[in-house]
Amino acid sequence: MSDNPSLGIAARGDDTALLLRRCAAGDRGAFRMLYDRWGGRLHGIALRITRQTSLAADATQDAFVQIWQQAHRFDPDRGSAEAFLVSLVRYRALDLMRRHSREVPGYEPDEREDETPDALSRLVTTAEGAALHRCLGTLDAERRRLVVLAFVEGLSHSELAQRLRVPLGTVKSWIRRSLLSLRECLAS
Amino acid sequence: MSGAPDRDLLAAEHVLGTLEGDEAREAARLLRDDPAFAAAVRVWEARLAPLADIVAPVAPPPELWDRIVAATGSATVVPLSLRRRLRIWQASTGIALAIAASLAAFVVLRPVPAPRVAVLAPLSGGVPVLLATAEPNGTLSVRPNGTIAVPGDRDLELWALAAGETRPRSLGVLPATGRQLVAALPPGTQLLVSLEPRGGSPTGQPTGPVLYGGRLTATD
Repeated sequence: MSDNPSLGIAARGDDTALLLRRCAAGDRGAFRMLYDRWGGRLHGIALRITRQTSLAADATQDAFVQIWQQAHRFDPDRGSAEAFLVSLVRYRALDLMRRHSREVPGYEPDEREDETPDALSRLVTTAEGAALHRCLGTLDAERRRLVVLAFVEGLSHSELAQRLRVPLGTVKSWIRRSLLSLRECLAS
Repeated sequence: MSGAPDRDLLAAEHVLGTLEGDEAREAARLLRDDPAFAAAVRVWEARLAPLADIVAPVAPPPELWDRIVAATGSATVVPLSLRRRLRIWQASTGIALAIAASLAAFVVLRPVPAPRVAVLAPLSGGVPVLLATAEPNGTLSVRPNGTIAVPGDRDLELWALAAGETRPRSLGVLPATGRQLVAALPPGTQLLVSLEPRGGSPTGQPTGPVLYGGRLTATD
């Protein structure tokens, strides 16, 4: 039942929206298919943020429970199915991680990998991703790194300041300016 | 208008996940109480979600599905909005009975949507190798007609080519034993099977030979 992992998410977006609609109607089979298709992706996202296998498993579990219970809230006119799923697991992972200390990381990914052109080029497999990729390219490298680190690793303003050895106020203003630039660029 | 741009940035930072302390609490409060802020959050979620594509998938622990099943209960969950509609429905039983009777007549008279099938055979002609059935609810079942031999370092990949399109869309790797999946397939879609490296095409388009193909057609 494994899908081709190299494919971008939008290529399967219609099907994910369809699965969500069927979950909303109480279809357990559709729920299982959604898990087969998205379990690994959501767990990967949770693991990068929590850095602990058991916390990540909790976040992934909570996200799927919420997906089942809130599938009827998904409105394709107001957002994509993938944004719905990705957001659920990220908020859960961020919440769990900030309630626990992250002092004992059990999982150490190679984080330099995120900034390589190859990693960012994975974005271009979807129209939305391609637009974001283009707009991230308009930021200078340091600020792009900040946005990517924040999103992928779930770092807060002060954690980013520590990691990059930059004053907190500077981090905040860089993030805000980057987000403003992205908003402008994505609207054009 | 004062504060509106700041609110949008706060929504963006909430989605990015960088807020702490008072700002985080303020964002949580607005998300609960201010529909405009909640809408701004949805927009930013859609803008930034593609970044999740950078993260490599990691298989969840094997027992996780059982935990999810236990936490969601095996009974069918009726969504709240539907429950509310049911209550209104139940409140007017007399009318409901009349409507139910007319609906029953409608259901009998309306033709039941028939599944569509495709017979997948070698493009050069020959005996059918796979049979695909697309149910009206979006379920697609692909079953082999006999045994298919796939080299150990290769996988079959299933593709949908909509009428008028030139680039097929991947429906994922197809085990030689067949597979069931959910896909929205418009009438006239062709199903194709190609031979790809293990795990499927690395490019999102067929890279190996297209072995079998067939068009979905209505059964009635």
